[in-house]
Parts: sequence; C-alpha cells; structure tokens
Amino acid sequence: MSAADATLGEMLGKSGFSRRGLLKFSIAMTASLALPPGVASAMAANLAQARRQSVIWLSFQECTGCLETLLRTSSPTIAALIFDYISLDYQEALMSAAGSAAELTLRQAVAANRGKYLLAIDGSVPVADGGVYSLTGGQANVSMLQQFAPDAAAILAIGTCAAYGGIPKAYPNPTGAVGVEDVITNKPIVNIPGCPPVPEVLSGVLVYFVSFGRLPDLDDRKRPLAYFGTTIHDQCYRRPFYDQGKFAKSFDDEGARQGWCLFELGCKGPTTHNACASLKWNDNTSFPIESGHGCLGCSEPDFWDQEGGFYTSLAGGKGPGWEDTGIAAAGGIAVGAAAAFAARHKTAKPPQGPQK
Amino acid sequence: MNLLEFARGPAMQAATLVLVVGMFWRVTGIVLLRRRVAHAAARNPFAMRLLGGAVTVFTRTIPRRTFWPRVGTGVALSYVFHVGLFIVLFGGAPHILVIHEIFGVSWADLPKGVVVLASGLTLAALLALLVRRLTQPVLRLLSTPDDYISWLVIFLPLASGILLSGETVASYGTLLAVHLFSVELLMIWLPFGKLMHVALVFAGRGVLGYNFSRKGAVT
Amino acid sequence: MQNFDFLGDDGLVDALLMEAADLMQDFISYGRAGSIDLLGLPLSASCLAALEARLGQGEVAATVSISGESQTRETAIHGLWWTRHADETGRVVALLIEVAAVPEILRADREDMARGLRRLRGLTNFRLARPAS
Repeated sequence: MSAADATLGEMLGKSGFSRRGLLKFSIAMTASLALPPGVASAMAANLAQARRQSVIWLSFQECTGCLETLLRTSSPTIAALIFDYISLDYQEALMSAAGSAAELTLRQAVAANRGKYLLAIDGSVPVADGGVYSLTGGQANVSMLQQFAPDAAAILAIGTCAAYGGIPKAYPNPTGAVGVEDVITNKPIVNIPGCPPVPEVLSGVLVYFVSFGRLPDLDDRKRPLAYFGTTIHDQCYRRPFYDQGKFAKSFDDEGARQGWCLFELGCKGPTTHNACASLKWNDNTSFPIESGHGCLGCSEPDFWDQEGGFYTSLAGGKGPGWEDTGIAAAGGIAVGAAAAFAARHKTAKPPQGPQK
Repeated sequence: MNLLEFARGPAMQAATLVLVVGMFWRVTGIVLLRRRVAHAAARNPFAMRLLGGAVTVFTRTIPRRTFWPRVGTGVALSYVFHVGLFIVLFGGAPHILVIHEIFGVSWADLPKGVVVLASGLTLAALLALLVRRLTQPVLRLLSTPDDYISWLVIFLPLASGILLSGETVASYGTLLAVHLFSVELLMIWLPFGKLMHVALVFAGRGVLGYNFSRKGAVT
Repeated sequence: MQNFDFLGDDGLVDALLMEAADLMQDFISYGRAGSIDLLGLPLSASCLAALEARLGQGEVAATVSISGESQTRETAIHGLWWTRHADETGRVVALLIEVAAVPEILRADREDMARGLRRLRGLTNFRLARPAS
C-alpha cells in the first residue's frame, strides 16, 4: 500500500510508536479537550483508522507568528508526528515547491480532496480596493478565500488576525482588513484566536475533527469551548492576590516582585477568553502574566484598539480630555447664566392686575 | 465595538460632558438668580456672617433634639447610607484607581472585607429608605417622580457594583458594562434632579447660616 | 495548574469515593470499565493527597515508558487504579482513577501484537512454516 493510503495507525506503527502510545496521546487529548475520560479509547480507535486528513494552509496578511508558534516543538513527539501526518498538503512557508510549481500543488491538492480538506487560514483578509494589499501569485487573498472555501469541509481561522482582523484591522485599518468570518458566511468556521494562539488548541481541534468527523463545540464567537470557555482571570495563578486586594502599582515595584495581581497595570484577564493561563506557550513554559506583564486580551476582537490601551485598567476608560471638559463647563455656565437672566427678567416685570 | 468598550469609551465621555455641563449650568443659574435685597442693617460684621455660614454647615449635620422622634430614623438611615457609600467610593480599590487615572492622586485602599461590609450596609439602608418613603403617609404624599428616579439611579450602580465585586450572576465583562452604564445614567441624571444636593447642600446651609447671622440669629 | 487550596478537603474526597463506588458497582454488574478525570476537577494539592492516602496501596504497580512516563498502581481496593500520565517534559497530562480489571494503558493492543508476531518470527534462527493468515 502506498504511503498515501496508510492509516494513521499504520504510519505510527512504522515509525515505532505502538498503539499504546496512541492511546496515551488520546488520554492526554481527551483531558485537554475536557471530554469524559472514557472517550479516550474511542478516540484512539478512530485515530488508528484515520486516513490522511488533508489540510490546505493559506497565509494571508500575517506576520507568520502563528505558524512559528505551531512549529516550535522541543522534541519529536507523537503529537508532532500526528500533526505531520494529517496536515499540510500546501503551506507556502514550509513547502519546497515555489512559484508556479506551488500553484500547481495547490490546485492538485484541492482537486484530490474536494469537499474533504480543512482550509486553515492565518492572517487577516484585506478587502479595501479590491483586496490589492495582499496578493499571492498575483491573486488577491480575498479572492483566494472565496475560491477555495466552497470546496472545504470546514475552515480553521488561526490566530486573531484570521479570526477577527487582528493587528492589521487596528485603527485606521488602511487595508480594510477583516476576519475570515466576515468574508465567508456559509461554511463551518472555527476561530482559534490568540496572538499567537496556544499550539495545543490547534492540535486539539485537528485531533477532534479526525477522531469524530466533526468540529468541537463552539462558543458564540466560534471558538472551541473546551479551550475558550473560561477567562484568564478564572485560571490565573495570581487570582488569590486579586481576591485579597493585593495589586502591583507599577512595574517592578515591591508588589510586582511579590507576584501580586496586575489588574491596576492594565491586565485584561477578566474579559479575555483563552487557555493560556493553564496551557501556556513554549511547552508550558510561561504566559504574559507569569512573566510579569498584564494580559493584553489578544484572543478577543479589536484588542489592539481597546479603550485606554493596554495599561489602562478595566476600572478606567477614556473620558473626555481636560480641554473638552473645560469647554463643557463654559457651555454650562453660559446656559446657566442665560437661564438665570431670563428668570430675573421675568421677575423684574411689574405684576399685572389689581395691586394688593 | 462591543458593549463594554462602548461603556468605557464614548458613553463615558458623553456622560461626563453632560454631568459637567449640567452642574455648571445649575450652579451658575442659582448663583445668578435675583435675590431679595435685605434693607435692614446687618446685625453682625461681614466676618461674623461668613463664620456663621461656615458653622451652620456643620451644626446642621445633626437635627435638633426636638425633632429626633420624628426624623431620627430617616436621618440615621441616611447617614448609614451616605457613610457607607463614602467608604465604598473612596476606600474601594477600583474606584481609587479611577480617581488616580483622572486626577493623578491616590491613597491606600481599605481591606476588601471592609468595603464589602460597607456596601452591604449601604444597600440595606437604601432599601430601608425606599420602604420608609413608601409606607409613611406624609412622605409618600410629598414624594415626586424625582425622588424615585434619584433613588433608582443610586440603587443601580450600588447593586451592579456588588454583583461585579462578587463576580456572580453574569460574566465579568457583562457586569462591568452594566455597572458602567448605571454610573453613566447617574451622571446624566445628577445635575437635573434632587441628586444635585451633592453640590448644593453645603452651599445651601452656608447661605442660610450667613443670612441668619446677618439677622443676628444664633444658629 | 489553577490554585484551589482555598477549598475544603473532606467533602470532596467523600464525593469522589462515592463516585468511584458507583463505577465499581457498574463494573461488577455490567462489566463496564470507568474512570474519573482528576485534573478536570477543582481539587487542591492537599485534597489529592488526602484522596490518594485514603485509597491506599495495593498489590500492583507498573510503569509505562511511552511518550514520557506513565505510572499506574492498584489501590488497596481491588480493581481501583491510580493512573498518572506524564509527557516527555515530565508535565502531568492526565491523572485518573480507573475502575477496571486492568488499566487501559497496560493492555497490549491487537495491532501491536500482530506487528510483534512478525518480529517474533524474524527472531528465530530457522524459518517456521507460516500458516495462511
């Protein structure tokens, strides 16, 4: 049998991984996806029988950070092997083909897997001026998305840029950047936001799809509930300090060195949904709060443009400036003076009618 | 822009401007009103009159003993409410944070337990005051929509703030947005109703004391 | 891992033991294996320790070295296993109470055995006649 026909189980067996290893991977995935533990055996059995899942990865208006974060595995693990196996029929940064050969690869991959491939997108989709601000091989990204989305089984919008527009969408958004869901409205979409996203989330979604043939449960922003169901605030290890009212007042002050809560330094943990407080990045190394900086809210829409910026706490906002307030005060005085003089004028008029 | 961003941004700006315009409007309007000219000679020199005004601000904080049976409960409840609100507004960490962001000054916050206790007592007193207003026949007769609206625009921030600090009933983002909207509603209403007493009460007592002192009456 | 140290221990331990008892009854009556995902619950470190101490130590302990170390041991209750899975970096990826004759991870898989059989035949010094497979 050719390599293309081998099941995942056969491929793993040839690479020296036993089914026991696949079971262990499934147990870990089941826990990560917050599924009942009994599901692990079924997942392992399904994965063993899985045929190659084609993934076509298109990169649009992006910084490549999302791809980089997904590639940073410290050692060849079973997860990396599975990721290799089930993915990447087409990915511009990683594949060796280039130019017209690459375009041919894309067309062939689509033709061979019509209706079955997962379309992974990173980067936002610029739509201003016909989408001219991001072209691949002369074709506008928005046009590519509209061309390849209809034949996909589902679309994975990877990173906040693909999900909601991200940094390119920040004011004044000169390129008209939008998220995938603003362009494609008739396909199942999974948003995996984060700047960059947590790598385990993508592998979790892929494994779920390959194991069960459907996408995991999503929240109202199309994010997998298993990973985006709680806020950073709910999972943060500094939460006891928040509850006790112990806040760092400035970076590197005594409170900051004690690891106190970063709420007053602008942490957006309470309103940000992501799994990074528990899963972290770089093989569970750290996440912003653990490194001493408040959460930026990078997995939420428009995080770059939020009121007050990154360092204004959620308790504050952006009120009118002192100039505007001064103008308002002057206006109030003017209206009040006019009202007072109108009243004075009215009482100054002599009363009509018989005198007392 | 989601609800929370709107509450923290454009809504906050609009409400602040309305508050500023409204307060300056009303204070200016009152100050510039025509006053009845007092033709009698002043019984006290100017300095004494000023002192009389200043002293009256403080002597009026406690009603005269004769009135205690009638107004005692209301005054006591009101003080519990006002002192409690003061503790929450100026002792609670998130409020100090807001003041710091606007004015650049800050001070140490009170322990969270103290603020929580104060907020509970404040809420209880506020509810008791409403019950009192609804059950005492004379008070009920005298009450206008202004009284009830003013009560409501204080109740909403207090209740939503308590829910927010407990992070219960809804998500943090929703609770914060509701709390901010309720505060903005208060800001818009304040200059135009009885809540304007926040600015006028001390001036009112002062003017009264000044006039009494001018007439030679001991306050 | 999130800090749940503010929660009390005893009530949670009792609740988990009762759930394990239900799973055990299920297995005895219908032969259905079951497990409890301990990492998915708000358990403090002391609560986990109390639970482990209450269950005690049994006759069997095993280590599985695949993609990191997994350890499983029977508790003082027959058929109740305490299983800990760690990845290559040592991070605990799953902690389970399993009710089964044998924990899943210890079972040899049929496909693995088929592959093993091919290797086993290759180990002999002379060729055995292979039965039609």
